[in-house]
Amino acid sequence: MATRMNRRGFLGTTAATAGVLAAPGILRAQAETVKVGLVHPVTGALAYSGNQCREGALMAIEDINAAGGIKSLGGAMLEGLVADSQSKPEVGAAETAKAIEGGAAGIVAGYASSITLATSQEAAKTNTPHIVDVGVSDKIVGRDLPNVFRLGPGYGKIAAFAVDNLVAINEGAGSPAKSVMIIHEESAFGTGTAGLLAEKLPEKGFEVLDVIKHANPTRDFTNIALQVKAAQPDIIIPAQYYNEYVLFARTLRQQRIEMQGIYSVLGGAASSFKFVEEFPEAAAYIMDCNHWYNPLSEEALRRRAAAEEKGLYYTYEVYLAYNAVALLADAMEQAGSADKEAVIEALAASTWDGHAMPYGPTKFVDGQNEGGQPVNTQVLDGKIEVILPPDFASAEAVFPMPKG
Amino acid sequence: MTKLLALLAIFAALFCAPLVIGSEFWLNTVLLALYAALLGQAWNILGGYGGQFSFGHALFFGVGAYSVAVLQVELGLSAWLGLVVGGALAAVVAVIVGFLTARYGLRGSYFALVTLAFAEVFRILSNSVSWTGAGEGILIPLDQRLAALQFPDTASAYWALWAITLACFLAVWRLERSRFGARLMAVRDNEDAAAAIGVDAMQVKLGAMALSGLFMGLAGVFYAQKFLYLDPAIAFGPEKSVEALLVPIVGGIGTLFGPLLGAFALHGVAEIARETMGDAPGLNMIVYGTILVCMVLFLPRGLAGLGKHVRRAFRA
Repeated sequence: MATRMNRRGFLGTTAATAGVLAAPGILRAQAETVKVGLVHPVTGALAYSGNQCREGALMAIEDINAAGGIKSLGGAMLEGLVADSQSKPEVGAAETAKAIEGGAAGIVAGYASSITLATSQEAAKTNTPHIVDVGVSDKIVGRDLPNVFRLGPGYGKIAAFAVDNLVAINEGAGSPAKSVMIIHEESAFGTGTAGLLAEKLPEKGFEVLDVIKHANPTRDFTNIALQVKAAQPDIIIPAQYYNEYVLFARTLRQQRIEMQGIYSVLGGAASSFKFVEEFPEAAAYIMDCNHWYNPLSEEALRRRAAAEEKGLYYTYEVYLAYNAVALLADAMEQAGSADKEAVIEALAASTWDGHAMPYGPTKFVDGQNEGGQPVNTQVLDGKIEVILPPDFASAEAVFPMPKG
Repeated sequence: MTKLLALLAIFAALFCAPLVIGSEFWLNTVLLALYAALLGQAWNILGGYGGQFSFGHALFFGVGAYSVAVLQVELGLSAWLGLVVGGALAAVVAVIVGFLTARYGLRGSYFALVTLAFAEVFRILSNSVSWTGAGEGILIPLDQRLAALQFPDTASAYWALWAITLACFLAVWRLERSRFGARLMAVRDNEDAAAAIGVDAMQVKLGAMALSGLFMGLAGVFYAQKFLYLDPAIAFGPEKSVEALLVPIVGGIGTLFGPLLGAFALHGVAEIARETMGDAPGLNMIVYGTILVCMVLFLPRGLAGLGKHVRRAFRA
């Protein structure tokens, strides 16, 4: 029996054949994926912050891909290679090596300063671009590692900013505060920040009554609170991680310690929605000098809403890690390549302003974004408001804090 | 002699690792396992052969690490000098701690607690004085030349570690066959009986402390030169002490190969758990912990004791 092909059959066969023949061409035309290593401490002592960082970085990848990927690379999609540093520098370095070996064109890491020092150095061996998401130690940049870039400020700048603004807030209220007491955690960020504050505050006329260091973790702040009570400082300056900050602030309230204000510098909880929501009384009127998004930026508010939709608190870890990935992606976009050398060159010349932070366009000097700056926030009526700098302020500072 | 040949064969195979492992990550994993074996064997000299369970071996690790870092950063001296000073100073500190504990007859859990306390004291001290960088830590400038005792690539770091670890294992092999080793094990088994036959328990313990401290200090020097950053928690924190004692406990306390077996088993299990559990944070740690508990429960003499079980099963 002869087999006859009808019109429908002919068209179907032709279409199928054309499809099969064209497939390799289509595959060739599809842009390649660009891998980015995301190394964070998602287990261990820093797990909460590490997970927040990871979520922020993944959100950025999701947004960039949804917007069409890296356009100058033919719409290449970003792929995150997530890794856990287990809150240990040596594991962070090993995971960075693994990500680079897995094809990562850039690294975003590693939350804590000690881990970031190790991950950036590991990336330097292969000249892989490394964006620092959170680590604030001034030792991270300026090590002659051309691959290391940090968008946010280091603690040197933050401490100077904090002192200047404390003076401004105090003078604005008629200079009622004369003395301070600094309470800080013992690692690089707390010690470095406290050291700078203790040096700079006396130059501005403040008497530093005491500087108290505590271990991580510390779960009972009664003794420290009693020391504060005995010294009667006008202002208390904490520089602590989240858990310690919450416990310390609660203990101050429990001990009914009277002061004119709590003015944190990089306060782990002072600018945290979680803290304000869970402990509104302890959080009321606390001021903080910290990383913060630009509250007047619609893009920042959109990102915050998107994070909250995912059930995340929009903490500094989330938006700093988000921006670290976005900065890297922008550099690839500008370079028109994922080649490491080209991306590093693009980063060094970067003038990116899509960060929705109160920074202005990026300008890197020795890996540090010169425009990176903190803001001053204050918890007012259960909300975190920006009080300084005036260009980004959403409320006026309330100082001294109301009694009772 | 068979043991020595086996040891040399294993280390010859380990020497070749950078030549056969193409992956930087897997070479780094083997490096970290070898580093854990060094920590474990250093602890094993005192804990396994001497019966003195220390919970604070991070003390010697930290002394070695900070010595090399401070000599370079604060005094501008050569890291090679730091290597010698780091090892020697760690041994001296170990002898001082050993003398104080032996002088006051502290054994068992008291010895363990005192060593833990010493490590904590050093952690607080290093957190308080400026020349250690205090809480900010100390950063050794990057200078990837062998003249600066830094490693231009993972392979050279690996071979440097391999040499220190081989020296440590050979020292333990020699210890097992020496009169000093026999005295040390006699003190471990029954200190009073050993003293009755003329063994100077304090001298023997101090010798073991010095040897253990020396290799722990060298491990600290290696860490500082590989990662180029130290802070008090990294150097003197309890994590290092736990890592050092966990390895021989899993591998086999008081055995030559125990720390090596333990280190590779622990790192192997950790990597397998990580590879199989995907990206869910912490799941791999749960699997790792469960396997660890099972190993301790069903292999009380460690992996080195497994061979005896197997031989007995074959004979039966």
